[in-house]
Amino acid sequence: MAVDSRAGELPRRKRQRPDLTAPSLLGLPLAWLAVFFFVPIAIVAAYSFDVLSFGTGTHAFTLRAWHDFLHGGVYLRLFWKSVKMSLIVSTIIVVLAYPLAYYLALSGTRRKYVLLLLLIAPFLTSYLLRVLAWKVILGDNGVLNSFFFWTGLRSPEHPFSQLLYSRFAVMLVLGYIWLPFVALPIFVSLESLDRRLLEAASDLGASRLYAFRRVTLPLSLPGIVAAFLFVFIPTIGEFVTPSLVGGANGYMYGNQVVDLFETGFPDWETGSVLAIFLLVVVALLTLVFSRFLQPKQVTAG
Amino acid sequence: MDEGHDLLERPISRERLLKLAAAAGGAGLIAGSAGVAGATRHALSAETGRLQVLDWVGYGYDGGQTMFAAYNKRYPQNKAQITVMTNEANALSKFQAGQKFDLFRPYIGWVKYFAQSGLVEPWDPKLIPNLKHLNPYMVKAGQYQGKQYGIPNDWGFDEILYRTDKVKPKSNSYALLFDERYKGKIAWFDDIEMPEIAGLLLGFKDTWNQTDAQLKKTQDFLTSKKHLVRLTWSSETEMQQAFAAGDIWISYAWPADYAAMKAKGLPVVYMRPKEKPIAWVGNFMLLKGTPRPELAHAYVDAWSSPKSGKWLEDNYYYGHANTLAHPSSSDLSRALQLNNPKAVVPPFANLDRDIPKRAQYEKLWEQVKAS
Repeated sequence: MAVDSRAGELPRRKRQRPDLTAPSLLGLPLAWLAVFFFVPIAIVAAYSFDVLSFGTGTHAFTLRAWHDFLHGGVYLRLFWKSVKMSLIVSTIIVVLAYPLAYYLALSGTRRKYVLLLLLIAPFLTSYLLRVLAWKVILGDNGVLNSFFFWTGLRSPEHPFSQLLYSRFAVMLVLGYIWLPFVALPIFVSLESLDRRLLEAASDLGASRLYAFRRVTLPLSLPGIVAAFLFVFIPTIGEFVTPSLVGGANGYMYGNQVVDLFETGFPDWETGSVLAIFLLVVVALLTLVFSRFLQPKQVTAG
Repeated sequence: MDEGHDLLERPISRERLLKLAAAAGGAGLIAGSAGVAGATRHALSAETGRLQVLDWVGYGYDGGQTMFAAYNKRYPQNKAQITVMTNEANALSKFQAGQKFDLFRPYIGWVKYFAQSGLVEPWDPKLIPNLKHLNPYMVKAGQYQGKQYGIPNDWGFDEILYRTDKVKPKSNSYALLFDERYKGKIAWFDDIEMPEIAGLLLGFKDTWNQTDAQLKKTQDFLTSKKHLVRLTWSSETEMQQAFAAGDIWISYAWPADYAAMKAKGLPVVYMRPKEKPIAWVGNFMLLKGTPRPELAHAYVDAWSSPKSGKWLEDNYYYGHANTLAHPSSSDLSRALQLNNPKAVVPPFANLDRDIPKRAQYEKLWEQVKAS
């Protein structure tokens, strides 16, 4: 039969079952992201254009809040102030954490994991408790100023008032809080370093400093960048620490976002503009820095 | 009966009517309209479910339960369930999100706003026996278009607290909050009362309704003085800790803060400014369409009793609208000027009030903080 002959002419194919592994594995996280990340962001964006509104009055699409934000200057200056504070904190603690991570990863000490545990031990206590403890240390009659009074460096009438309720206080406490987050990625990148490269450098006559500069540092760069981002990104939008120890002078961009949404008579439109702007800047920074985070650069090969 | 007249005028759904009929044994419904009214009254005195209260931190089971203990005892099946509000706007957002409450407590400056919003309905003064003991000036301030939308309760002044051993004011004035001599030792309050105070200091006729030009002057003034400020407080605990630790010497403060610092033995004065202090009053407001209006009235009556008033004054150091309540602390009594029932209104003080340009004031204040 013709039909049979045509059937007989069909190439023999192995019946393929659709591979559902990837969709099934990715489905839940993607759905999670969509519902709890993209949708909320879209809602906030809608508020920023007054498509949605906090009040009961009339509202319609407008760029007014964006225009005011970009031309008013006040909030952009506050943003820049927060960026500077975050940059200072991130840079200083990366510089401080690197030798620490270097020692833990490359010194050959058998106690490195014990020391690592000690480093993260403060995280076993409450975040708020750790921040509030700094008030006892930094206050005008706190531990530090009392020490200065005792040594005669300052008189009780003239304490170092800049220690608390200041930008300095915010940066100090942020540095303290985030130090382990900085040390850990650097430690991991140094820990995975191929030691044979250092041996080869030494065999070829490189001094320890030269080997560090040409081998260790470049290969640990992804860890440094990751560590920097781990601190820089969250601290730009930080609001808990500045609200506890920042006072009027340590007020940051994140505080402004919270206040616009929460206090008095809320201005969700402006608050949403500030929030979306922060999100966009952080996303762009992540994109720019992500090229330093490629796995190929982590390995020595 | 006059009692509950307004409540009876509320539209009643068929479902609710059937419930009411059931509550009355069904007989009243069959007997005709008089029977319906009788059944309705009966059911209203037996409203179901827990009373849903939206109130501030410390005014629920986290310390303030003594204030409504009499209510809970009288209505064990309808005990108050408290949800915390952080401010009036937070309450507003909860209403807009569809959360249902029977009553809440905004402060006096918001009474008109909420009364106009259509979200609330007036109280029936006859159902609050303790109302007759409440400060008449505060009671009047809780009225809108002749109806009692707000039942006054806690109250206080916005004055200036300072350390007498560290600070020598040039005069009794709000100007102390902006005194260059005490740079880094001053605390402001994180609220639009700061533009109000600035307006009083700048001599504006109506600081609650400043013109655009006046608002600009206010903003410039506050921005130019911000460098003097060490702390902008939003929590009394935060301010009291900083004050007690010596981190600040001068602060915008409430009578409770003065009493607390005196109790710690600090040499402090609670200064009454010559510009006349701003007085604030917490007002209970009844949410429109509440299924538990009678219980809400009973709850507010419990809060309004002399016993609750004294407890509030002795434990929270706030004033209480009940004129029969007197605190044990003579310092607090003096700070609240309890011997003068007119202490909260002119010529003695400026009772806080509605701000027609509230959004503009808020924007101004946020920009001062961001500057």
